[in-house]
Amino acid sequence: MSEYMHPEVLVETDWVAQHLSDPKVRVVESDEDILLYDVGHVPGSIKIDWHNDLNDPLRRDYLDADRFAALLSAKGIANDTTVVFYGDKNNWWACYALWVFKLFGHQDARIMNGGRKKWIDEQRELSKTVPSYPKTVYKAPARDDKTIRAFREDVLAHLEKKLPLVDVRSPGEYSGELLHMADYPQEGAMRGGHIPGAKSIPWAKAVQENGTFKSADDLKQLYQPQGITSDKDIIAYCRIGERSSHTWFVLTYLLGYPKVRNYDGSWTEWGNLVNVPIEK
Amino acid sequence: MMDRQEQLDFILDHYENPRHKGSLPEAEAMVEGGNPGCGDIVKMYLKVDPKTNQATVMFEGEGCTISQASASYLAEEVSGKTLDEILQIDHNTLMDALGREIVEQRTRCATLSLDTLRAAIRKREREQMLKS
Repeated sequence: MSEYMHPEVLVETDWVAQHLSDPKVRVVESDEDILLYDVGHVPGSIKIDWHNDLNDPLRRDYLDADRFAALLSAKGIANDTTVVFYGDKNNWWACYALWVFKLFGHQDARIMNGGRKKWIDEQRELSKTVPSYPKTVYKAPARDDKTIRAFREDVLAHLEKKLPLVDVRSPGEYSGELLHMADYPQEGAMRGGHIPGAKSIPWAKAVQENGTFKSADDLKQLYQPQGITSDKDIIAYCRIGERSSHTWFVLTYLLGYPKVRNYDGSWTEWGNLVNVPIEK
Repeated sequence: MMDRQEQLDFILDHYENPRHKGSLPEAEAMVEGGNPGCGDIVKMYLKVDPKTNQATVMFEGEGCTISQASASYLAEEVSGKTLDEILQIDHNTLMDALGREIVEQRTRCATLSLDTLRAAIRKREREQMLKS
């Protein structure tokens, strides 16, 4: 059985439990449900909200370097801190937050395998105490929007070159039957369908029933037969970029693909763009 | 006037200790609402006492913290009121009661229970008309 290519970026709940008091480790909860952290969280963990903390308030974009540095300083995260993300929804937002941290080159960012659900299923301690940590001096470089992030122009260029795209949404969204996941508001895009040529590999196929990631062998079996291989330049997308962050994490760290980008504009942008092609 | 922490505690208390949660077998109307931002589902059950005109409201559901806390609060708040009194409650009233600062990013989650309850009131009215 093969190993993950970068096993160091994935930590188990046991590891987290053993490092709750480690000053070099900061555990971060990132959720879709904005009050879950307040219901109870991993003791000592802090909250980073994808919307309030990581997005620019006026522009559909992320924080700039100064504000990112200020955020991390305030949260007690230093440049050499090991940041471990976890959250609800199978770690979608945890992977999204990790991806944003990587846009700013944060060195040591990891995911707690199985996320919030696994921690709770194992009946581990939850706390309502919101900790505060000494402010740090965090130095952030300018955001790198080239290496792991794709914009619509990149996707158009990708299409022209017939390079692989992965649509990680549900089959109903891929076919155009739905504009969002089932049971979510069917809004956000004028049209349903997918980017021409994109392969449908829903994010959920990368996880087991208990929310942990599948083995490296199973993951290879999932992506390689669809032509999503490590020698290619790959762009993943979903609806707003959170589920595709999950797939980006799998391809980049668990399978070690060197050139994977997340198109965070995703279907809410592509499905509304004038004069671009779609398929149903 | 509650401060932010008190408001948060108020919401979490309704989420963790929901009031009026469960089905109402003798309900005159039941409506299921869904689809706000987090994939939430709320079923609102409504019955009106013909002698007092007072409503009894129960709910069932699953979903995010705010949607479920809102349903609990609303069911408790409106039970014992008349339908005219319930219809006086609008989105703003509900959001203020829950804590606007906390729920304003999730207005659809916060108001799902009210929209669903109003749908139940309309359904009951239609059915009463058909019977008369």
